[in-house]
Amino acid sequence: MNERTILLADDDQLLASLLNFRLEKAGYIVDHVLDGKEVKEYLSHTMPAIIVSDIMMPYFSGIELINYVRKELLSQTPIIIISSTGNEENVLSAIELGANDFISKPVSPSELLVRIAREVNKIHI
Amino acid sequence: MSKLKTKDLICQLSDLETSLNGFSFEELSTLEAKTLKNSFNRFKTQLNDQIFGTDKINEKDFFTNEIISVPTPSQDNKLIAHVSHEIRTPLNGIIGFTNLLREENLTEGQFKKVEAIQSASYNLMEIIKEVLEYSKLTAGIEDFDSVDFNLHRLLKDVMFLCQTLIVDKSVTLNIDISPDVPNILIGDPSKLSQILLNLLGNAIKFVEKGQISLSVVVTEQKKGTHMLQFSVKDTGIGISKEQLGHIFESYKQAEKDTFQKYGGSGLGLSIVKEIIEKQGGSIAVTSILGAGTTFKFLIPFRKGNIQNISKNKPKSISTQKGKELLGGTKILVFEDNELNQHLISEQLTKWNCITHVTANPKEGLSLLNTEEIDIVLMDLKMPKMSGFEISKSIRSLQDTTLNQVPIIAFSADFTAQDQEYCYESGINDFLLKPYTLNELMIKLLKRKKERNLTQASLRLLKQETIISIKQKKETVELSSLLQECDDEIEMLEELVRLFKQNIYEFIGAVKIAISNKNFEEIYHASHKIKAGLALMNTNDLKRLIVGMEDGAKNTELAKIELLFAQFLVQYPLKEAQIDKELKKLKKR
Repeated sequence: MNERTILLADDDQLLASLLNFRLEKAGYIVDHVLDGKEVKEYLSHTMPAIIVSDIMMPYFSGIELINYVRKELLSQTPIIIISSTGNEENVLSAIELGANDFISKPVSPSELLVRIAREVNKIHI
Repeated sequence: MSKLKTKDLICQLSDLETSLNGFSFEELSTLEAKTLKNSFNRFKTQLNDQIFGTDKINEKDFFTNEIISVPTPSQDNKLIAHVSHEIRTPLNGIIGFTNLLREENLTEGQFKKVEAIQSASYNLMEIIKEVLEYSKLTAGIEDFDSVDFNLHRLLKDVMFLCQTLIVDKSVTLNIDISPDVPNILIGDPSKLSQILLNLLGNAIKFVEKGQISLSVVVTEQKKGTHMLQFSVKDTGIGISKEQLGHIFESYKQAEKDTFQKYGGSGLGLSIVKEIIEKQGGSIAVTSILGAGTTFKFLIPFRKGNIQNISKNKPKSISTQKGKELLGGTKILVFEDNELNQHLISEQLTKWNCITHVTANPKEGLSLLNTEEIDIVLMDLKMPKMSGFEISKSIRSLQDTTLNQVPIIAFSADFTAQDQEYCYESGINDFLLKPYTLNELMIKLLKRKKERNLTQASLRLLKQETIISIKQKKETVELSSLLQECDDEIEMLEELVRLFKQNIYEFIGAVKIAISNKNFEEIYHASHKIKAGLALMNTNDLKRLIVGMEDGAKNTELAKIELLFAQFLVQYPLKEAQIDKELKKLKKR
């Protein structure tokens, strides 16, 4: 596991490329996947330092992702959920199930950077 | 068998891909074309994964012919369900986009290429149908069509399609049809194209340089049945004797590394053999290693009758599509010639339009008022009052719904002067007689679309109930997004580029989804585009999209259409603003 690797799961190309750009600039290694199936495939061979995932994804929702990581892979890797308006209830259940943080759309990359840094620092403490 | 079919499907997909690649997008440079290509490639990868899974072991099993996994029936059914769903939706997209492309101003060359894509898509559709009829097949009930078809035309189409498959190769394709081969036959044309495409496609794959020829002769003729022999001969790498013996078995390709070099499934030939034999024919192959291969097959056909062709010829998709779009359109025709009256009203009725024909200007104007007419067709040479004058009087009506009705004029001769009169008197468009039905349909569709849009806007302005789209000219502001890009203008440019591309994809997807009443797709497409719209600070557009999303949730087609129409009007303005803003930021 590389402690700078971030798995970014989001099917919105625009947001993903902006986040990708900013995160790589900040020294992270970003692996970007488009949907839940790809997330699962990725996690089957690699565990990143942090997972940033959209709450709504094709095939495999953010909620299912949290369950998968926490209950099946038994990993405590920090998970940050990207939520959109109208999904407030899901965010609550995401946190209950073990998501570490969430950020609402429209996502500010700067804000996300801060939140990621916070999670990374927590690991090192 | 199911895998057999799906493999065939992949083959067809590769054909389609090659055909798409052969399509010169530089020539066209419309974003629709690019989007079409992108979405196709994405879809293909996805489909491949769906069928074979992403693990390579499975794929290996499939191609190295050592282990053939026999799927259980339940796996098969699952696979079929997957395949049909996964393919039909995006294929609809491909077909939809090619239809849109066809309506652009294309050169003859471009049009031919679009037709090749369409033709490949339809082949693919055919195969999907076969996959879906899988249960029938396993039960041993194979359906072969028995219809009249034009063999020469079919061969021409097949050759054209094959020509598009030859990319960057110095391969020539020849065709030789013996004069005694009848033009019109009775049989299964789609199966015959499938066979020929398969054999010729193989030849193209294996010939780097040289010739591929197709010849057709009659070998036997009795009781109205012609035994036709088709030969596909190539100057390719050839096949060794021992391998020749297994060539029609499933999953066999000459050598294990053949797949790596040439691609393909090694499945086509077994299907070809099956199809030929089920039609009472036979196939044989001869080959010399290093010199080339010849496939010869015989199929009996009865001689057909040209008169039957128009009856069973499927309506061209564009007509079908146009019919759907035009259905219910209320058209008022000003025409004084009785024969022409009949002609046009018959045609319009065929397209499910509600048609009123009159030679009397007064009656026409009152019909306009009472019948909620969508489009007016105007013969310019009317006896009492000329078409110009009638048009002028329509434009001078008080009611905004009535005075903005689109008017299409038609006349046997148009002078430059007439054209000027047309615009002066408020005529939107004109058709020169004799016009083709396709021309008429295109003009009608275009006006219908505009009409819908103005109607929708008028309604909105009158009610303002559905959503408040106050055109208070929200300007585009990208400097904060530039900040988020760490002040790197290149990144912002990239985002804008992606944004535009996403919007075009969205527009295409929704157009098709609306015509299919696919609310789920509308919902997804709208949802997906939201984040990008917010990122670009185009909140007025985002409101429209949120409304569409809502409409899709509640299956309110009218609302969706209304908002989408608004989106189509507003987006180009927004795009211009974005470009302007980007330019401004670049100068800074």
